[in-house]
Amino acid sequence: MKTRITEILGIEYPIIQGGMAWVAEHNLAAAVSEAGGLGIIGAGGAPAEFVREQIQKVKEVTDKPFGVNIMLMNPEADAIAQVVADEGVKVVTTGAGNPSKYMQQWKEAGVKVIPVVASVAMAKLMQRGGADAVVAEGMESGGHIGSLTTMALVPQVVDAVDIPVIAAGGIADGRGLAAAFMLGAEAVQLGTRFVAATESIVHENYKAMLIKAKDIDSTVTGTTTGHPVRSIRNKMTKEYLKLEKEGADFMELEKLTLGSLRKAVMEGDVVNGTVMAGQIAGLVKKEQPCKEIIAEIMEQGMALLGRTF
Amino acid sequence: MLERVKEIIEEQLNIEDVEITEETRFKEDLDADSLDLFELVDAFQEEYGVEIPPEDLEQITTVGAIIKYLQDKGVDA
Repeated sequence: MKTRITEILGIEYPIIQGGMAWVAEHNLAAAVSEAGGLGIIGAGGAPAEFVREQIQKVKEVTDKPFGVNIMLMNPEADAIAQVVADEGVKVVTTGAGNPSKYMQQWKEAGVKVIPVVASVAMAKLMQRGGADAVVAEGMESGGHIGSLTTMALVPQVVDAVDIPVIAAGGIADGRGLAAAFMLGAEAVQLGTRFVAATESIVHENYKAMLIKAKDIDSTVTGTTTGHPVRSIRNKMTKEYLKLEKEGADFMELEKLTLGSLRKAVMEGDVVNGTVMAGQIAGLVKKEQPCKEIIAEIMEQGMALLGRTF
Repeated sequence: MLERVKEIIEEQLNIEDVEITEETRFKEDLDADSLDLFELVDAFQEEYGVEIPPEDLEQITTVGAIIKYLQDKGVDA
């Protein structure tokens, strides 16, 4: 299937794996890229040298394109931006801010730049700054979220910019892909479903909790701090929401979540850790290899889109 | 120009009865988050027909800074 996104990125299928901190490491990114999608290494809060190692490990496994997601609030963002350019990474997605200061550096290195946007104004600004595409991510997503839904955000962004739009948030199967294409998207980005992939290194407790999760099992913490995060309800979210209700200050809330994603992903502490997942978690029923996930999505999606594409 | 700029800010951020001077800072004084700033920039572009590239956002932190920015770009006021 060809869209502007598959052409720009040089990938077979219009399926991109979300740049999830801790979760999106080299095994998962390599598996998604090898299966014809775009795998992404999530740099999260990691140091630049760690990101370089991850990039090199993906290159050992696949010659296909892959990307790096840079969380711009990472104190080492400048160094990571340079690593990405040095290592010849083909694609960068950015979150938590405005990547414009790296734009020239990346363009010169031939890196395609795809900021994640949560509003029309941000999408327009990124297009003006030279972005090659944008990811319009709705609040159905896991992890850090905006306030608009995918259904509302995607068509409005599509109308506002000329560059291609990738839809994210609440998409986990071929129906989601077809729906996103109907809204004008030219690719989809999936996080939650890939967390449950066979190649995903998240702790078995994390995977089990995700697979067990129902439609209503996620909640949003951090609305009062201006940095809302979606994760699966557990003891931590319960305490966090209680503190928020009582008007706890930022530092007190921070104490609860400092290192909590790592705790869940690496140590399997799904009681006190942060088990980030999207609202679509209820649709994820089993662990599957990335290749199978992508094949299933494409088969179902293409059948649904058959009449129009 | 300050008057019209103030109106745009009030409209975009849904605030009223807040004193806005050239020294007013968007983030600290008006509680604007990054998405609010993108909305503001978009509104200023439409109003004044000036292209504001994203790399210039860092320098636009106060009301006075946006006025000076627009004037430097040739906006007459």
